[in-house]
Amino acid sequence: MTHPFRTSTAILALSLGMAGLASAETVVDFTVAEYSSKTGPYFQEVADAFQAENPDIKINIEVVPWDTLLQRLTTDVAGGSAPDISIIGTRWLLDFASQGVAEPIDSYLTPEFKGTFIDTFMAPGVIDGKIMGLPVAASARAMMVNMDLYDKAGATPPKTWDELYEASKKIATLPETFAFGLQGKEIETDAYFYYALWTHGGDILKADGTSGLDSPEALEAATLYKKMIDEGLTQPSPTNYTREDVFNLFKQGKVGTIFTFPMLIPQIKAEAPDLKYQILPFPEGKAKATYGVTDTLMMFADSDAKEAAWKFIEFAYKDEWREKFDMGEGFLPVTKNVAALPHFTEDPDVAGFAAGLPYAKFAPTIANWEEIADVTVRTMQQIYLGEVTPEEGLKAAAGEINKIRGL
Amino acid sequence: MANRIQKSVPLLMILPGLALAVAIIGYPIFDLAWTSLQDVSRFGKLTGFNGGENYAEVFGDPLFWESLWRTGIWTLAVVLGTLAISMPVAMILNDDFYGRGLARVIIMLPWAISLTMTAVVWRWALNGRAGLLNATLMNAGIIDQPIEWLATASTACVVEILVGILVSIPFTTTILLGGLSSMPQDAYEAAVVDGASGWHQFRYITLPLMKPFINIAIVLNVIYVFNSLPIIWVMTEGGPANGTDILVTYLYKLAFRFGQLGKASAISLIMFFVLLGFTMLYVALVSRNDKDDAAPEEEV
Repeated sequence: MTHPFRTSTAILALSLGMAGLASAETVVDFTVAEYSSKTGPYFQEVADAFQAENPDIKINIEVVPWDTLLQRLTTDVAGGSAPDISIIGTRWLLDFASQGVAEPIDSYLTPEFKGTFIDTFMAPGVIDGKIMGLPVAASARAMMVNMDLYDKAGATPPKTWDELYEASKKIATLPETFAFGLQGKEIETDAYFYYALWTHGGDILKADGTSGLDSPEALEAATLYKKMIDEGLTQPSPTNYTREDVFNLFKQGKVGTIFTFPMLIPQIKAEAPDLKYQILPFPEGKAKATYGVTDTLMMFADSDAKEAAWKFIEFAYKDEWREKFDMGEGFLPVTKNVAALPHFTEDPDVAGFAAGLPYAKFAPTIANWEEIADVTVRTMQQIYLGEVTPEEGLKAAAGEINKIRGL
Repeated sequence: MANRIQKSVPLLMILPGLALAVAIIGYPIFDLAWTSLQDVSRFGKLTGFNGGENYAEVFGDPLFWESLWRTGIWTLAVVLGTLAISMPVAMILNDDFYGRGLARVIIMLPWAISLTMTAVVWRWALNGRAGLLNATLMNAGIIDQPIEWLATASTACVVEILVGILVSIPFTTTILLGGLSSMPQDAYEAAVVDGASGWHQFRYITLPLMKPFINIAIVLNVIYVFNSLPIIWVMTEGGPANGTDILVTYLYKLAFRFGQLGKASAISLIMFFVLLGFTMLYVALVSRNDKDDAAPEEEV
């Protein structure tokens, strides 16, 4: 039997010893967003390799799921226990920057390091002329078609919205098949509409900063979606289908056309290897467009280990690590050297998504973006359900967004 | 003098407990009230008083009023539905029959599963194309087209209320069962001798004697259901088009998605007072009724 006093002394001695050890090294807390089951092990591997070279710095990785990341960081910052660096959605960066939570990194970023990034992806991280974060992951969206269904229906993959509409009419006649997968529930319901909005020549914000939802282009886009629902060209009741639900229908071979992201490709290869698909640019109306999405690696202003954290960041952006990350997660490269690798230039799937990058649009970096997106989601759901006409709904939404923006 | 000290001893003895309760319950409410009067950054930094602007925004927000109205319907439907089902269930479980132990376990089982998991399972079951519910109904020939249960607010509200009732039954049944098993059997025996029917026994013996238990079931259920986030959040996140938002889901969105902590704390405080008001009103009503009921008996 162990004497309780001896046990507690042992624990005390142990913890004192560990405290002594910890004070000798700098600890960098790094919050990582979980892209897939590979994310955590990957960053741990990078951290281990870094610590082998820098024994005086300890990288403390914490993996947090996307759904709770913003809430987690919010409460961490509010409670004064923010990490030193974190992966965040670039759309949150403005809020972090304007509240003084994000540290500008201009003084750390050497010209050589800066030169390794693709400029398009650097741009969303610049706020008021200061670089507030580094792009850490990027994706662009594209159209994916099921070639078996197109062949069976005698349709050709569309280049324009008119062609998509005609092809969908043919595919809809096949039994147990939906021509066009339309998302109408939860996260990114608004993005599914922006694809149509942008390619019809509209934009989320007009040049004067007011909402672009009351533009004729937005009306045209929303009317088209509604028309496709009413004519049975989409799956029934889109408001019950999240992004994943729509993608699942596609994997089951029940949907002709969807709009999607590169991360779906590894899923299809694993779950539906026989599916014959093709990646194509979004159908065109008056403009070419795709949705570019980046995530940002941000440093916290309160951090007391900025030098060490930056040393780790430079290490983690070495080509070998970036290549492993982008390949593993199915992202588009954010650095020039990785983008030049054969995998990213020759693979038709990746190339299909990367093709849109020159004309990619990003979500605007404006305050209250999440709330504005929510207004758009609600409005699209009302239109899909037939609770309002596209014209009324979009006009009201634009008014509401302008009010949120204080315009 | 000695008398006065004696009188104050009990008060002194409950003082530490009272102080602890006030500190634990009162402080967060005070903090909430303090926050709700200020401008708050999305990271919880208070940036100065804004003279009730948060409240003005809340009361000027149509979504708040819609959510409040829906919260009322949701709470009322779930609590009354739960009672209506739990009462007969408890009475059946109170009777002695073969396999009663097993039946009791089955009724209690949903309690052992977290609300969130129940909601996730129902979300899958209610999926239009791949869900079990539609598959069952179609196999049974009840419907010939799959129904997208969560696609419109009206059907989504109904199924969410039904799930709400389902998860509230075990708790309510437990309370009522406790009441039933403590009831004196001689009253029933006397009633049988006097030729009372089953309905009469229920109406004139069971219900009046069960009143305190039903009351506690109502008050506790109202508090739980009014504040319940997981079912609605998991199944629809208050959608489509905010059609299933109740105050607590709306509050969650405001606080953790939109970062409007000031407005969110205002709603939080309003919810607290709504519940407090309901509880006080209900307790007052019940105790007045008890007095009315008791009065004629005294005359006899």
